[in-house]
Amino acid sequence: MSEFPRFLNIPLADWVDRFMDWILTNFSGVFDAIGHTLLMMLLNIERFFLWIPWWLVVIFVGILAWRVMRKWTMGVVMALLLVLIGSFGYWKLAMMTLALTTSAVVVSLAVGIPLGILMAKSDLAEVIIRPVLDAMQTMPSFVYLIPALMLFGLGKVPALFATLIYSVPPVIRLTNVGIRQVPQDTIEAARASGASPRQILFDVQMPLAVPSIMVGINQTTMMALAMVVIASMIGARGLGLEVLLAINRIEVGRGFEAGLCIVFLAIIIDRITNALATKQQKSLES
Amino acid sequence: MEHNNQADQTEEICVEANGLWKIFGKKAADILNSDLRFESKESILEKTGNVMAVRNVSFSVARGEFFVIMGLSGSGKSTLIRMLLRLIDSTSGSIRVNGEDILKYSKKRLMDFRRHTTGMVFQYFGLFPHRDVLYNVAYGLKVRGDVSKEERHARAQEAIETVGLKGWENYHPSALSGGMRQRVGIARALTINPEILLMDEPFSGLDPLIRREMQDELIELQDKVQKTIIFVTHDLHEALKLGDRIAIMRDGKVVQIGVPEDVITSPADDYVREFVQDASPAKVLTAGGIMDQPEALLYEWQGPKAAIRTLRDIKEDYAFMVSRHRNLLGLVTLNRLKTVIQNNGASLKEAFTPDPPTTNPVTILEDLFPIAAEADYPIAVVDEDGKFMGEIQISSIFENMIQSKEAIADE
Repeated sequence: MSEFPRFLNIPLADWVDRFMDWILTNFSGVFDAIGHTLLMMLLNIERFFLWIPWWLVVIFVGILAWRVMRKWTMGVVMALLLVLIGSFGYWKLAMMTLALTTSAVVVSLAVGIPLGILMAKSDLAEVIIRPVLDAMQTMPSFVYLIPALMLFGLGKVPALFATLIYSVPPVIRLTNVGIRQVPQDTIEAARASGASPRQILFDVQMPLAVPSIMVGINQTTMMALAMVVIASMIGARGLGLEVLLAINRIEVGRGFEAGLCIVFLAIIIDRITNALATKQQKSLES
Repeated sequence: MEHNNQADQTEEICVEANGLWKIFGKKAADILNSDLRFESKESILEKTGNVMAVRNVSFSVARGEFFVIMGLSGSGKSTLIRMLLRLIDSTSGSIRVNGEDILKYSKKRLMDFRRHTTGMVFQYFGLFPHRDVLYNVAYGLKVRGDVSKEERHARAQEAIETVGLKGWENYHPSALSGGMRQRVGIARALTINPEILLMDEPFSGLDPLIRREMQDELIELQDKVQKTIIFVTHDLHEALKLGDRIAIMRDGKVVQIGVPEDVITSPADDYVREFVQDASPAKVLTAGGIMDQPEALLYEWQGPKAAIRTLRDIKEDYAFMVSRHRNLLGLVTLNRLKTVIQNNGASLKEAFTPDPPTTNPVTILEDLFPIAAEADYPIAVVDEDGKFMGEIQISSIFENMIQSKEAIADE
């Protein structure tokens, strides 16, 4: 009686399948090339993080936290959290996770900031991009893990790709917002001085959008870190894989340790990038 | 009534606007081509959703002239000044600057025009909060792209000193008061040495004391740099004080253009008359305009007895004493003279007060009040070189104000 009429049926699933087939047969070369570039970058970053001595990282993070938060106690706390990760025996895995996160953030910024600018400059672009960003952030990540696997195969690259999809929206959104909220009278004054649209962008809009973009970077980084456990299901090594293994083997203690290390990393990165963002905001206001 | 809406024919025309219209909205062209354009702003808005901002405005400004556009908010004056450098594009009409129609300029040519010919000052300053004063002031040269950093900074420095901000080069705008920020805005406009200075209510955001000070400085500055200035304001006093000529706008139209005296004495319509009625004569009339010539002056070489005879002849109890070149030396009073004669004094100098209250001819009446309150005798009017020009009876200050009020009300 109340069955949905058949003629309204849309075979979207079929279409998507066919689209994927089409992409795989025609563009696999393109994706191989992208995948190779991403892999090279990721491997180099990972090699660097595994190469620097642990104490240097601890000292560097301690000093950085102290400088940006203007409190030496915060420097000590951040350094201690790192030491704790090491003493749980997860230093190497933490560095691998950090490498994946860093790679994701670097690519997010490279893609996200130009897209954010485009979105701010064109209302049409904003109308098109906004729902795509909503989809990227709300779509369950497993949905795009499978096509990522099909495009890039098992390993680090699809993990990076999946992380990107989840982490790039905040930096796009906040670049857009940051540029759009630059006061009109400031822009008008630049126009009256004879500035070109390009000069207005780089002399006025971008510098004034920096605090907003910094908040975007902070959120993007946190999102990327949050994805590492899920990304480990398709081949990312690091703390996420450790958590996954612990769950499979019902080793509660091991899972807790690895999970705690992710939390520590998150706290360190969040506090430092957040302090940087507020610092930028303050330097504009005072 | 004959409107003085053309600049003096003997002078060179710098800016000439002809039949300018601006309608905001998608149906601008349709409205312009129909009789709708004659309807009121409200009725156009209701019928089409479009805003009629400027309608059929024409005027010309001579080189070196201080041209003021005055009107209340919503009269279209801010839109009009923006149209003059195409921050807002006109719906129709022509704007000629030095004979060239700037509405026909390409984007590139327009940028060049803004970089070399015009400088603009805004009500809300429009400074870059992330940069220091020096960068802000040098920005007009930076966008040209072919001026070296040394030259930019040298010229910016010069402009900063012109507006009296030396020593503040490396501060950010947020560290500056409103008045100082606007000085930065003026310096930024001056750095490129533009022919034309456009000022959109530059002093409206400042408190009254600072505003007066800035107006005085702008007059001084104009004496020095001799730019063509187009200045927008909603303040009639400001317009009367600064303008060589004033254009009064209402509902997007120019209702009167003329020199300040014309606007005051023969308002073009009720709208202008109402405006002018609010103008206190105390702020318009000057000491030079109301002063009288005394019936007699005393000279430094005269003796006390000759002086006392003069005073009795003119039936006054005082007179001003001047030198051979009519420089004011002081005030002689009958009482002091009598004392000097009783004591057998031989010189008139013993009888005079050396520093009587004085004023100069351009002082407005309002500024005479404090002097008048202190003065027992009339106020002497002297020019910059100390020459005696005339005197003002205390009572005549108020008589003049009342007469001027009545004259306006009678119109």
